[in-house]
Formats: sequence, structure tokens, C-alpha cells
Amino acid sequence: MAKTDRAGDPRKPLISIRNVSLSYGNFQALTDVSVDFYQGELVGLVGDNGAGKTTLIRIISGINPPTSGEVHFDGERITKFHPKKAIDLGLECIQQTIGICDNLSVGRNYFLGREPVKRVLGLPFLDKKKIRETSAKVVHDFGLRDTVDVDDEIALLSGGEKQTFKIARAVTFRNRVIIMDEPTNHLSVRERAHVNELAVQLKQQGLLVIYITHDIFQIHRIADRIVIMENGRKVTDVPRDAMSAEALEGIIRDGGRAPAKGPKVA
Amino acid sequence: MRPSIRDIVRRHPEGITISLVILISLAFAVITQGNWISIGNLQSLSQFTAVLAIIAFGEALVIATGEIDISVGSVCGIGALTFLGIAPTMGSGLALVASITCGILIGCLNGFFVAFLGLPSLLVTLGTLFLFQGIGYAVTSGFSFAATDSLRKEFIYNVVGGGNLAGINTAVIWTLIILVVLQLIVFETPIGNRILAVGGDAASSFARGVSVTRIKFGVYVVSGVLAAFAGVLDAAFIGYADGSFGVTMELSAIAAAVLGGCHLTGGRISLLGTLFGAFMLRGIQSFLILLAVQPQWYILVAGLIVVLASVADRTLTRFATKQ
Repeated sequence: MAKTDRAGDPRKPLISIRNVSLSYGNFQALTDVSVDFYQGELVGLVGDNGAGKTTLIRIISGINPPTSGEVHFDGERITKFHPKKAIDLGLECIQQTIGICDNLSVGRNYFLGREPVKRVLGLPFLDKKKIRETSAKVVHDFGLRDTVDVDDEIALLSGGEKQTFKIARAVTFRNRVIIMDEPTNHLSVRERAHVNELAVQLKQQGLLVIYITHDIFQIHRIADRIVIMENGRKVTDVPRDAMSAEALEGIIRDGGRAPAKGPKVA
Repeated sequence: MRPSIRDIVRRHPEGITISLVILISLAFAVITQGNWISIGNLQSLSQFTAVLAIIAFGEALVIATGEIDISVGSVCGIGALTFLGIAPTMGSGLALVASITCGILIGCLNGFFVAFLGLPSLLVTLGTLFLFQGIGYAVTSGFSFAATDSLRKEFIYNVVGGGNLAGINTAVIWTLIILVVLQLIVFETPIGNRILAVGGDAASSFARGVSVTRIKFGVYVVSGVLAAFAGVLDAAFIGYADGSFGVTMELSAIAAAVLGGCHLTGGRISLLGTLFGAFMLRGIQSFLILLAVQPQWYILVAGLIVVLASVADRTLTRFATKQ
């Protein structure tokens, strides 16, 4: 994998987070985080539980607006935070705990929020044929067992199958950014390798891939850049080749206190 | 996957209620020696069912999003009072518009508190139930509104529940129209998909770009409109309304929805089941009347049925969604 040190990259970042803070009541979930993400890179966002990784991507994917700070997407400052807006901009997030409505069929989950319609007397009706055929093709391309019927409620799928479904949904719509929050949870060893391969492929197709994980060794093998968070702050932001996985693990273990090369904000 | 009994129960939660309704109907017919299925009784039973079903449809939509609307009884009352209060002097067309407007406004009020402020729907709609019941009593303050003879001859008055078409009260026809329209909206359109999604998992729907606020606001408005319209249909049929109009209607509406296979946790509803649920409750009521049982016993029986239905509902859900 080519070393891609973005520090001196003249290109504009695709997503630019500037001095973002977020607090829920008295709880400060993010403190003054600044980080840039570029098109065509695979960034590992790493940190312990409660480090603020998921909070950061909740802001990027429009679920929570930041308390202060700015988010820029493709040079444009985001003022209205809503998941619909993020999805329309071409940002897909594979969330760890949410993203699936158990009471709906596989096909309806696949298209939730952007249901295909056919007009009957000018009225928008669900294009059920398209829902069925497109979603069936996608989930089976992604290796869900043949017995999965896309008309079945998604609750009938196993945890791993649901995860595969979310990944399939995220990557098959035309996108610019894929965020994966702990994508390999619930997955078997073989499925895990498959997801990691997929992350690299997506990057090679020119997408920005933000990959959130606990597992520094796993992400160090595939990422171009590693961003470490701790206690709601960014503590490290280095190109993959600048530090070994062991050294990075040391930073996480020490709660971000180890001297990091990246800018440590106070 | 080959459909098993589990799949059938899961996909058609209303099946149990519909089968039960058929059994009960047969039993009632036999016990009352045919009186229960006499033309006269079926006519009044169908009108009776229609009004409840329309309110229950709105309730079912709210339940689909995982919320509840307890205010529908008072909205029905306000709809009826507005209609009969205005119609004798200004005509039933304007009265109808005024009633529906009341329904929209109360729906907006409920929707604002629940969807935009995120307050618990049980409390909000309990509050508006009392509020509008109180207004109903205050406005009538011992008086009542009644239809005049000339009003009864108005075309619109007859269309909105005051008259019959081929021996069937127009409210019954409205019920069937509303059933078909809502069935299409809920199960065949993107809006319907989102209503069910919000009830299934609001956080996930939001993350997929669904405006949970708008959906919840919308179902409250629809519920308000339907409850007010049901009030109009019933007021035109009876030709009389006072402050107690629509009282306890909300309980029957919720009961009908639950009997019909709507899950109070949201995400799963059946409108056809709700219609049958309403028919079952009204059928039992008319059965008790035919047996000359004190009408108060109906409340007890209805309560019992709802408790049993919720137990059966949970048992069936566990059975159906077990992997």
C-alpha cells in the first residue's frame, strides 16, 4: 500500500472538522477536535471505549449537530445537520447499533429513506418489483445465504448477516464517503477479512473510507492514516508508516498520554 | 423460506381476530336466535362499528409510529359539537369544514408537543383529552345541539352519516373508502414505509434520513382529522350532541386497534384487523343489548377483552418472531 502522507497535501480535504466540540448536558463528549479527511484515503479512527469516535461520526453523518466548531464538506460549510443531508451528499455510515428496522423486510430496509416509486395516477407508490429485485441481487452478491428472502423481516437474519446487509447497502449506492463503525463486530474470521478487503477496494475506487475500530493491529495493516482519540480529544494523527502498530497501541493503552507526533490539543 | 405457521402469524397478526370475530358472530347469532343478524340489528351495528373503526384507524396510525393518542374521544366530541352547533344555521358543508379544521388543529397541537418537543404522548394526549372534553362540556353547559328537519334534508348532511345509500348508512361507505386509502398509504407508499420504520426503530429511521418529527406530527394530524370526521358522521346519524359526546371512545378505539393486531410498541399494524376489532367490540355491545344486559357491563367485558388481547398479543409475537 502506498504511503499517503496528507500533511502536505495541496488538495482540499473532502471533510474538514474544525475545532468541533459536543456536550450532552454536563457531559463533554468531544473537545475541540480538528481533523481532515481526504478523498481516496482509508483512515483508521481508533481509541478506547468512550474516546469519542462514534460521537465524531455521528456529527459527520448528521445525526448530532456539534455544540461548537465547524464541519466542511467538499469546501462547503455544513449548517444544517440531518442524516438526510449527509446521505444526499454521498455519505453512508455503517453504524454499529442502529441502521436497521427489525419490523421491516430486508428489501424495505435496503431502500428506507430513498424508496423507489412508480407513479400511478400521479401518486407515488412503492416500486415493489424494483425493491425486491435490486435488494435481492445486492444481498446475494454480498454472500447472504440463498434462502434469505428479501420479503422476510430483517429480524430473521443473524447478527453477522445484518452486518453484511448494512455493509452491502452502504457500498452499493453511489457514494463518496463510507464510514464503518466497528464493521467487523459479529463477523466470523473469514467475513472479517472480506470486510477489510472491501474497505481497501472502496478506497482504491476513490472513496474516502473512515474505519472505526478498537483493533489497532487490524487497522494498521490496511489504513493509510491512523487517528487516535481519547477522552473526546484527538491525540494522534499520523500516516500509517510513521508509527508501528505497537507504538500506537502504547498510546491507546496509556490513555493518550504518550508523546504523540500529531497535534495534541489542550 | 417455506411459509410456516410462524410466518403466517407474523405476517398476518389480524388473522386471529378475524377468525375470532367469525366464531363470535356465529355464537351471537345462535344465542339470540337470529336477532343479532337481523337486518335491523346489522344496520345499526354497521353504523356503530363504522364510527369506531374510523377513529381506530387514526389510532392505529399513531400506534404504528410507537406513540399513542388518547385524545381521540374528545376530538370526536368536539367534531360532533362543532358540526351540529354550526350546521343548523350555516349549513352542513361549512359545518363539516369547521369540524375537520378542529380535528386538524387538535392534531397539530398533539403533534407539536409529541413530535417537536419530544414529550411523552401518553401525557400530552391525556392532557388534551381532558382539555377538549372540558371545552365540550363548557360550550354546551347543560345544553345540547340537535339537527333540524331542514338540516336533515341537506344533501351533504346525508352524505356525512345522516342518510343511507342502498340501505347502508353512509358512514359505513366512508369507513370502507378510508380503509382502502389508508391501506394503500401505509403499505404501498414511501410515507407508509417510513411510518412503520419510525415505529420499528426511530433512531435507525432517523439515521437513514427519515424525518421522524414530520412523520409523527403527520400521524397525529391524520388521527385528529379522522376522529373529528367520525364525530360528524355519528352526530349526523344521531342528530343530537351534548358535552358527553365521544366520552370513552378513545378506550374503545385503542382496544379495537390492539384487538386488530396493532402492536402498542409500534411498527406493526393491521387496518383490516382494526376494522374487525371495532366490529367485535360493537358486536359484543349489541349482543349485550339484545340480551337486555345493563349496558354498563360492556365496559367490563371490553376491559377484559383488551387485557386478554394484550396477553395473547405478546404470546403470539414471541412465538412468531422466535428464530
